[in-house]
Amino acid sequence: MTELSVDERHAAGTVELTMQQAVNRALRTALAEDPAVLLFGEDVGRLGGVFRVTDGLQAEFGADRVFDTPLAESAIVGMAVGLAMNGFRPVPELQFDGFAYPAVDQIVNQMARMHYRSRGTAPMPITLRLPSFGGIQAPEHHGESLEALFAHVPGLKVVAPADPADAYRLLLQSVRADDPVVFMEPKARYWDRGPVPVGADASGMDPIGTSRVVRPGRHATLVAWGAMVHRCLEVAELAAEDGVDLEVLDLRWLKPIDADGLAASVARTRRAVVVHEAPLTAGLGAEVAALITERAFRDLAAPVQRVTGFDVPYPAGPLEPQYLPTIDRVLFAVQRTLEF
Amino acid sequence: MPSSEPAGADPAPPGAPAPDAATVLPSAPATDLPAGAAMDVPTGSTTDLPADLGRRLYRDMLTARRLDGEAIALQRQGVFPAYVSLRGQEAAQVGSAAAVDRDRDFVFPTYREMAVALTLGVDMVGYMASHRALWHGGLYDPMASRFAPINAVVGGPVPHAVGWALGERLRGTGGCAVSYFGDGASSEGDVHESLNFAGVFAAPVVFVCQNNQWALSVPNERQVAGGSVAARAQGYGMPGVRVDGNDPAAVYTATRAALDHARAGGGPTLIEAVTYRLEPHSTSDDPSRYRDAAEERAWRERDPLPRLRARLEAAGHADAAFFEQAEADARATAERVRDGVAAAPEPGGADLFTHVYREPTRELARQRRAWQEEVEL
Amino acid sequence: MAEVTFTLPDLGEGLVEASVLEWLVAPGDTVERNAPLVELETAKSAVEIPSPHAGTVARVHAEEGAVVAVGAPLVTFEVADAPGIVGTVPRAEKPTRRVRLTPPKE
Repeated sequence: MTELSVDERHAAGTVELTMQQAVNRALRTALAEDPAVLLFGEDVGRLGGVFRVTDGLQAEFGADRVFDTPLAESAIVGMAVGLAMNGFRPVPELQFDGFAYPAVDQIVNQMARMHYRSRGTAPMPITLRLPSFGGIQAPEHHGESLEALFAHVPGLKVVAPADPADAYRLLLQSVRADDPVVFMEPKARYWDRGPVPVGADASGMDPIGTSRVVRPGRHATLVAWGAMVHRCLEVAELAAEDGVDLEVLDLRWLKPIDADGLAASVARTRRAVVVHEAPLTAGLGAEVAALITERAFRDLAAPVQRVTGFDVPYPAGPLEPQYLPTIDRVLFAVQRTLEF
Repeated sequence: MPSSEPAGADPAPPGAPAPDAATVLPSAPATDLPAGAAMDVPTGSTTDLPADLGRRLYRDMLTARRLDGEAIALQRQGVFPAYVSLRGQEAAQVGSAAAVDRDRDFVFPTYREMAVALTLGVDMVGYMASHRALWHGGLYDPMASRFAPINAVVGGPVPHAVGWALGERLRGTGGCAVSYFGDGASSEGDVHESLNFAGVFAAPVVFVCQNNQWALSVPNERQVAGGSVAARAQGYGMPGVRVDGNDPAAVYTATRAALDHARAGGGPTLIEAVTYRLEPHSTSDDPSRYRDAAEERAWRERDPLPRLRARLEAAGHADAAFFEQAEADARATAERVRDGVAAAPEPGGADLFTHVYREPTRELARQRRAWQEEVEL
Repeated sequence: MAEVTFTLPDLGEGLVEASVLEWLVAPGDTVERNAPLVELETAKSAVEIPSPHAGTVARVHAEEGAVVAVGAPLVTFEVADAPGIVGTVPRAEKPTRRVRLTPPKE
């Protein structure tokens, strides 16, 4: 990680950062601008996190604001709930997606509904950071896609950035938001580098729940989030060689979902393929397909296609590339919509 | 809950203390551990064990050490995406596993129990397949091996051990479960819930906490409030035993006594084996970010292998020829496993679908056909 | 790319520091793993340290003649891969495919 002076760390401007550095930068900005922000989780303090995302933050902001917890995911989230009720703005980290499962009770039964339960009196401005999705040949429970689970829970907001600039923007936006947000960082893209406009200035941020078109096109829309945006951009490049012009829509927010953005894109392209890493059945692709059908039925030239992980537990190393949506599988789906 | 008496307990082996249902084992001053680490089983009691057992422990510890070294090399050579070393914990693992009755008991590991697997006779190529990422749980047969699939959720397998043990009590078959976890896992709710369940149901289970001082980057004092995992046993109504985890005889003695105690209907025991993770948490970890080289050095001086060797020599239980042969055999085994796992075929893509259900669904069959048409071809 | 800082290891039992005799690399140099990096002098001997990383030398943290404590930064590399504790960094590969598309009739 680049070592920067304190002034540089907080200066506004555009800098080249990896996504992992961009998340670090956003956390720095959040800690600096609001003394109520606290970071905690397993190995986030002295070590700086297993992906070095919190590197240097304990040294800069002190062990009262950036600290290691014992190894207990449920207690990490539960403690965040109590801190939030006491006026803090916690940004807990669960080390890996699969280790969110031990915390599901606190996430679903507590964090998501405390505001509702208290009739709006208990604030719950928690950003739960969750390194997510697969593609890094990791051990079991380190490659899961839980977005559909969390998107299903009333009271939560869910977001997954696809590039460094969005990681910075969306994380800062999540921390500043007053509702609990599950922030899913695509660990396969942590090392991607890109220009990141940084600084405490919030201007230029789209409202929560806004998607973005990362590549305009006219023949079909590929809908994705997190690491699959990168995959869809690869597919779009290849399709262009065949004279097929694909639009790539990065959903970003998985709750609330940008139904207007989906409808507007399909109004232009008339076809949609949604691509995600999570298994097919009851995955978020079904929600996307339903929204498009409801909002843009008359625009559609073909049924919405889904290209997803299979309905199997996330597999080990050599099977990973066969599980994740391949370029060919996405191309097959595109062709189905073109031929329909 | 119905209760039933287990079948007759095994006779205690020579050197093992008689089962004691009510209290922790007698305390003795530690000779080889940091101040404050008082042990409940005397350290340095290797010579109390029969010579053949001492030699067996040494051979297994040495083989694990050599295999561990091969695994680290395989990671550096790009064969394993990652590896988690157990270096320094051989005595805690081999000493406890050697007390297990392989015909009747069942072991629930997490992910750093390679020397336990080795001691139990698990197919080590199949075990190491997990680290080559061929199959998350490993490719050995866990039911036949009586060694559950490798589990990456620390704390996750601990209630399974309680359930398995309860089954033995209900059937009266006399088996015991042995649950391995670490100091980090001891913070997990699952572990606390399991200890309480085991106490409430008097389940024949032995909890073996390898306290290796570091849960990734977090030291004991930031992990275990009160400083002792074993002390928690009292609150759950079971004996808690703290032993020098770098002394295989002390670990064996404590585990053997706990198994006898459980088999005799006395219920669970929590053993805390105090040891040290000499290597990084995993091959890509960098401990210089969080711990002192001096501390690592101090623990390297307490390496369990030279300690055991010195004691076997002093007791006249092993001679130079034995150690020479043990080294040659350990290397040969390590190399055989290394070559076996490096050459093992990758699972076919169809394995994605094969074991999801016993009774597969039509939808999954459809997805498998789609995979064949769009991915496999 | 990411930066990795190599700190002075304990070069012998219980040594606490070493002095820099000669740098064998300079900032901007590309080094292979195990390539000669720096010559140090300890209380016991002069030793040449092989590079623990392959990458580019971003900066050195001690002048020749300076005394460096064990654990203090010695040199910072820019390296291609900076994996976390778990998993690997996906390789950037040229996308390939078998499937060709037929454009729709306009």
